[in-house]
Amino acid sequence: MARMKFLCDADRCIECNACVTACKNEHEVPWGINRRRVVTINDGKPGERSVSMACMHCTDAPCAAVCPVDCFYTTADGVVLHSKDLCIGCGYCFYACPFGAPQYPRVGNFGSRGKMDKCTYCAGGPEADGSAAEYAKYGSNRLAEGKLPLCAEMCSTKALLAGDGEIIASIYRERVLKRGYGSGAWGWSTAYKETVKT
Amino acid sequence: MRPLSQIVARLASAVALCISLICVAVPPAGAQQPTSINPTASSVKEEQLLRQLNPTVAGRITIPDGKAAVLIQPAGQDWRSFHQTTQAWIGAITILGMGGVILAFYFVRGRIPIGAGPSGKFILRFNGFERFVHWLTAGCFIVLALTGLNISFGKTLVMPLLGAEAFAFISQMGKFAHNFLAFPFMLGLVFMFLVWVKDNVPNAIDVAWFKAGGGLIGSAHPPAKKFNGGQKLIFWSVILGGAALSVSGVLLLFPFTGTTIADMQLAQMVHAAVSLVLVGIMIAHIYIGSVGMEGAFDAMGSGQVDLNWAKEHHSLWAAEQGAKGGRSAQPAE
Amino acid sequence: MLIKRKTGESARPRLAALAAGLSSGVLDRRSFLRRSGLVAGGLAAIGAVQPGAVRRAEAGPMKPNIPVTLRKNICTHCSVGCTVIGEIQNGVWVGQEPAWDSPINRGTHCAKGASVRELVHGDRRIKYPMKLVNGQWQRISWQVAIDEIGTKMTQLREKSGADSVFLLGSAKFSNEGAYLYRKFAAYWGTNSVDHQARICHSTTVAGVANTWGYGAQTNSYNDIRNSKTMIIMGGNPAEAHPVSLQHVLSGKELNRANVIVVDPRMTRTAAHATEYVRIRPGTDIPVMWGIMWHIFKNGWEDKEFIAQRVHGMEKVQAEVEKWTPEEVERVSGVPGAQLRKVAELFATQKPSTLIWCMGATQKTVGTANVRAFCNLLLATGNVGKAGTGANIFRGHCNVQGATDFGLDIGNLPLYYGLVEGAWRHWSRVWAEDYEWLQSRFDEVPAKGGRPARTRKQNMETPGIATTRWFDAALLPAEQVDQRDNIKGMVIFGHGGNTVTRMPEMQKGLEKLELLVVADPHPTTFAVLAERKDNTYLLPICTQFETSGSRTASNRSIQWGEKFVEPIFESKNDYDVIYMLAEKLGFADRMFRNIEVKNKQPTPESILREINRGGWSTGYSGQSPERLKAHMANQGDFDLVTLRAKDGPNKGDYYGLPWPCWGTPEIKHPGTHILYNTNLHVKDGGGTFRARFGLEHEGKTLLAENSWSQGSEIQGPYPEFTYGVFKRLGWDSLLTAEETATIQRIGGNNPDGVSWAIDLSGGIQRVCMEKGVIPFGNGKARAAAWNLPDPVPIHREPIYTPRSDLVAKYPALPDARQFRVPNLGASVQKTGIEKKAHERFPIILTSGRLVEYEGGGEETRSNKWLAELQQDMFVEINPADASARNIQDGQWVLVAGPEMPEGRWTRMKALVTERVGRGVAWMPFHFAGWFMNQDQRGRYPKGTDPIVLGESVNAVTAYGYDPVTHMQETKVTLCQIRAA
Repeated sequence: MARMKFLCDADRCIECNACVTACKNEHEVPWGINRRRVVTINDGKPGERSVSMACMHCTDAPCAAVCPVDCFYTTADGVVLHSKDLCIGCGYCFYACPFGAPQYPRVGNFGSRGKMDKCTYCAGGPEADGSAAEYAKYGSNRLAEGKLPLCAEMCSTKALLAGDGEIIASIYRERVLKRGYGSGAWGWSTAYKETVKT
Repeated sequence: MRPLSQIVARLASAVALCISLICVAVPPAGAQQPTSINPTASSVKEEQLLRQLNPTVAGRITIPDGKAAVLIQPAGQDWRSFHQTTQAWIGAITILGMGGVILAFYFVRGRIPIGAGPSGKFILRFNGFERFVHWLTAGCFIVLALTGLNISFGKTLVMPLLGAEAFAFISQMGKFAHNFLAFPFMLGLVFMFLVWVKDNVPNAIDVAWFKAGGGLIGSAHPPAKKFNGGQKLIFWSVILGGAALSVSGVLLLFPFTGTTIADMQLAQMVHAAVSLVLVGIMIAHIYIGSVGMEGAFDAMGSGQVDLNWAKEHHSLWAAEQGAKGGRSAQPAE
Repeated sequence: MLIKRKTGESARPRLAALAAGLSSGVLDRRSFLRRSGLVAGGLAAIGAVQPGAVRRAEAGPMKPNIPVTLRKNICTHCSVGCTVIGEIQNGVWVGQEPAWDSPINRGTHCAKGASVRELVHGDRRIKYPMKLVNGQWQRISWQVAIDEIGTKMTQLREKSGADSVFLLGSAKFSNEGAYLYRKFAAYWGTNSVDHQARICHSTTVAGVANTWGYGAQTNSYNDIRNSKTMIIMGGNPAEAHPVSLQHVLSGKELNRANVIVVDPRMTRTAAHATEYVRIRPGTDIPVMWGIMWHIFKNGWEDKEFIAQRVHGMEKVQAEVEKWTPEEVERVSGVPGAQLRKVAELFATQKPSTLIWCMGATQKTVGTANVRAFCNLLLATGNVGKAGTGANIFRGHCNVQGATDFGLDIGNLPLYYGLVEGAWRHWSRVWAEDYEWLQSRFDEVPAKGGRPARTRKQNMETPGIATTRWFDAALLPAEQVDQRDNIKGMVIFGHGGNTVTRMPEMQKGLEKLELLVVADPHPTTFAVLAERKDNTYLLPICTQFETSGSRTASNRSIQWGEKFVEPIFESKNDYDVIYMLAEKLGFADRMFRNIEVKNKQPTPESILREINRGGWSTGYSGQSPERLKAHMANQGDFDLVTLRAKDGPNKGDYYGLPWPCWGTPEIKHPGTHILYNTNLHVKDGGGTFRARFGLEHEGKTLLAENSWSQGSEIQGPYPEFTYGVFKRLGWDSLLTAEETATIQRIGGNNPDGVSWAIDLSGGIQRVCMEKGVIPFGNGKARAAAWNLPDPVPIHREPIYTPRSDLVAKYPALPDARQFRVPNLGASVQKTGIEKKAHERFPIILTSGRLVEYEGGGEETRSNKWLAELQQDMFVEINPADASARNIQDGQWVLVAGPEMPEGRWTRMKALVTERVGRGVAWMPFHFAGWFMNQDQRGRYPKGTDPIVLGESVNAVTAYGYDPVTHMQETKVTLCQIRAA
């Protein structure tokens, strides 16, 4: 089976935020919830690099491990999804997540969190694929339609790659070979316990 | 074991918890860059950032959310290791350990009777307000402890019994209860402190009390005032532990309000570790205040204790009360 | 252990989909690569247009089990021209899909393009016409609005003349809308019709057109893939044109190309460069001459190219010699060694291209900057070949088209100018009586010592620029060279915070007797001043709610298809211009050759009228049918050459980039690369335009030993007229019909009928057959003798921190242009006398953020974008910040030398090394706060943008380019202090 992953080529990423708004657009994500974001390291200095980050759909996902109600599951494609019906908004997944992926709507009293929301790899949730209930809770399910996440599909410079890990790693390797430089597959060692050797 | 040593280091820096601020990549003032550079060749690399002393990859982000500027925080894995392993060990040691000790104690010692037998005369040990404060705090504590334990270990212990949906439901309710009851619990702590602190100042009598084994070992009853050394220990555990739980708990209740992800992780670890230890202590407290000792429960039940019980366990206090005379020595109906 | 769940009902459709979409559970490589946009794929499924779509007031999430129609339009933000595919369900725009087949964006978008659907959510759009009644916004009907506006305009016309109403158009118009608005101005009787190009690339258009013929990007975004060296100077395409970086970075990677960024700011683009050169703002010419100094010194110039195709390079060389590395470093701060490296790369590792944007153009010396840039290209022979050229990245989605169609105070559509011949040409195209058109213009009385102007003279006099309209409203009438001051303003699709000197503009707005804002959003115009009455808001829909063509920066013309009906009560530009023309009584004349259905002009018929008149620029071959066929078959076009390899458009360049010669029937493929002698004219080849005469100072202006491939005339030739045809004997090749048309146009001088006014298209047709280019085979001009500085000369900015350099490099003397004074030199002198450089020691420059566009009203109202930039800020160097005790993220106050005494603007500080010491930078998209006053309450209820902030133009100051009245936004002075 495919093992879906994200790979952000920081030498291509220009912090244009298309991935961010594509995500908002595709899933009608509300203000304050940032399933995907772009962070610029060494901002304004020589060697500045920007990286687009969302849930990396980790191998041995820390969020799933620490979840007190076990609301996470990994699909056959290696996508880490969760059930908002089970989630109690405890916030533990955010503490464990190396990438700051989980997001919480602020609901009710004293900053208490609502049901966690995060990148679904455009793969919806436990409800029936393409159902209205699935859309309302998780957004659209592109994977079920044979499409990849819209953030990567719309990436202005094709910096953000999504798809089977081996394929995107080989695309990245080819690129680095061709151009002669590469600042690494950001997050891979943390998420997948492997790096893209170039 | 890198994670554990790190956790120790971070626990040691607990002070930082209260004063930490969100700090995002403060550029060194006055740094000037060379006029000619090749930005491609000098690009920042992930590996080099992850090799730092305190590895994090953070930068600038335009959305006004400080925590979003942290791109990668490998410390999340350390927290996970604490949560999944260390915390379970602490829980096992404190709760199962204390349970075991008590069980052993019960079999060896059995229920501690009133040596002289009940006198039938009663003396007022705790007035209504004191009892209200105790039970307010205790009641909250029990719910907080159970819901907290549920969050920590329910997935393993309870969920298989109830199924995911029902378990998620009770956990959700538990979360609400935990969040709301935190406030009366903290109120109770404050009252408790105000009402009893004057009787809980440690002194030489306590040293003697401990030397004599507190009456638990052997059958001697070392003298004690209103609170003996053991009770003072409980008191201060509750006050200090409760304070730690309150501070860390409030931080957890208001996530990322002036705190970073590292602070939040630390707060959770403090909260979990302290609460597990306190639960262990409370198990002992509950045992000795109920099953473990004849006549002890009355102190917080009716508030009136048997005079003989008082004389045995709190001889100095009983004497004081006797000297004062008055209604406290009245037989109870 | 984590792989579980997904059982029963929910799992089955997923597995089925996986089986369908992914072979053996993995996307097969082809479809995977296609979805990642890494190779071009097959046809996109474009459903049929659904007739009678239901009008909805909002775009909602997609609903399951309802059929989805896909439609194609073009992103309405920058000039790259990204195709947007909309998913339409029941007349509601419910989603966006990547447009894989577009050779321009290949599925991708930037933050703005990926969120355009929100524009049709329309939460904060103007929902119905409104007017101010005693300071309160009141809802009115369209009919009442048009009646009142028309009546008021007529009153102003009677009292103060047609020129008293300033018509401001927009780069957001479609080509057809822009053309209609220009035509509207002609029928109204004024040349004061302008748009955003004035404040973005007017100096480019002037500078480039004066060099080699046409004022446009010579190559394309895609062609940058061929470059071996590129200099990006005064531009930050990573934020302003993000999708162009796809091509830039591909070139950088595949060719291992040198990417050199020259900018005062280490931009997001610079972060991906192979060389970054930091300069002091306002020293582009010294830096450019500094580069060329090394080129000439080392003999790296392309001598053959210069000899064949360039006129007057020796004059440039003489000026360049003054710019020794020492002097360049003294003035600009760039070390000589670095410029030597840049010069060597650019001149020797070819093909090389020069990319520029507002950093070069928005200057008092903008035209001169552009001319200097062109000279670098000419000296190194980097024009007219693949991978070379002046890759001018234009700003808005249709700023090229709006410029082409004459929303320009000095031009009729398609650069015909304002001369009698131009008016007569368009009169013929419009089937209009020339005399009647003339009668529409004012007679101007003699005043201020200037002679009077007849109607004819006024008709041929350029109007007032959008940068100066408020001066024309505020100055004493005697100083404004027209019948009266500007008294009214009709604005279509233009932000109000985009011109400098906003405190003055505020006063100008207060003085207007009529203000009409026709826009999807109220814009700053509607709220900046405290107006009480005579102010109207007309809700205009976006281009997604109508159809029409737009011209991308690379001159490719793309047809946008209507996604949904205009939301709320909004209307498209065509309908509103028609309503106004009808009210003003000239709709029958103006639309006599345009199909109008139910008072709605059809864009196709407008484009056909353009085709009938657009000979000068080769806008004649792009019929609506051809453009639509391109959009439907985008996948056939090559990524690098933009040429269709097969399919119904085989041989065409994508979007028929102008010039696309002759009639649509002769099927000219368009011109991907201008002035490319390596191709036959029928394949889009060409030469430099022989536009400036045959000789100058005894030297020929026609090309020597150079011609386009396959040319029957292997040598120099002038532009073609019927007279030239007769001398060559080519007149016999014209059909009888063509000859008759030429005779009719020429009257008693048919020999004078040129390729540009031959409505038959015969001259162009025969030229194509003969392999010659209709406009002649000329030389480019290194020195343009008709400009104030024929060879660009460095001039210090009006407000400069280097007062020591002003004596040697002063601003141009005071003069009058475009009906008003231009007092650069005296303002510069006064500034130095008043020690502005000491009181305001920091250079202020400005630029774009990726999330916002232009004045930002639309994008700041888009919740998906607004969330990403919630505060106006100023970038300040850590050294300057610590000297002022300013922390990153805190509030600061900023003031400029021309702001009212004691007033400050308030914004957040972003402390960063991105800007050098002594330089501050601000984004220009914010408005709604004005000099520390929150104006949110002045917006009509529910139309205030989500994010408001101070405008940089509250701080910016005087300074205008003499050739175009471009404003100075890139170099002024300011002071910053902690709030």
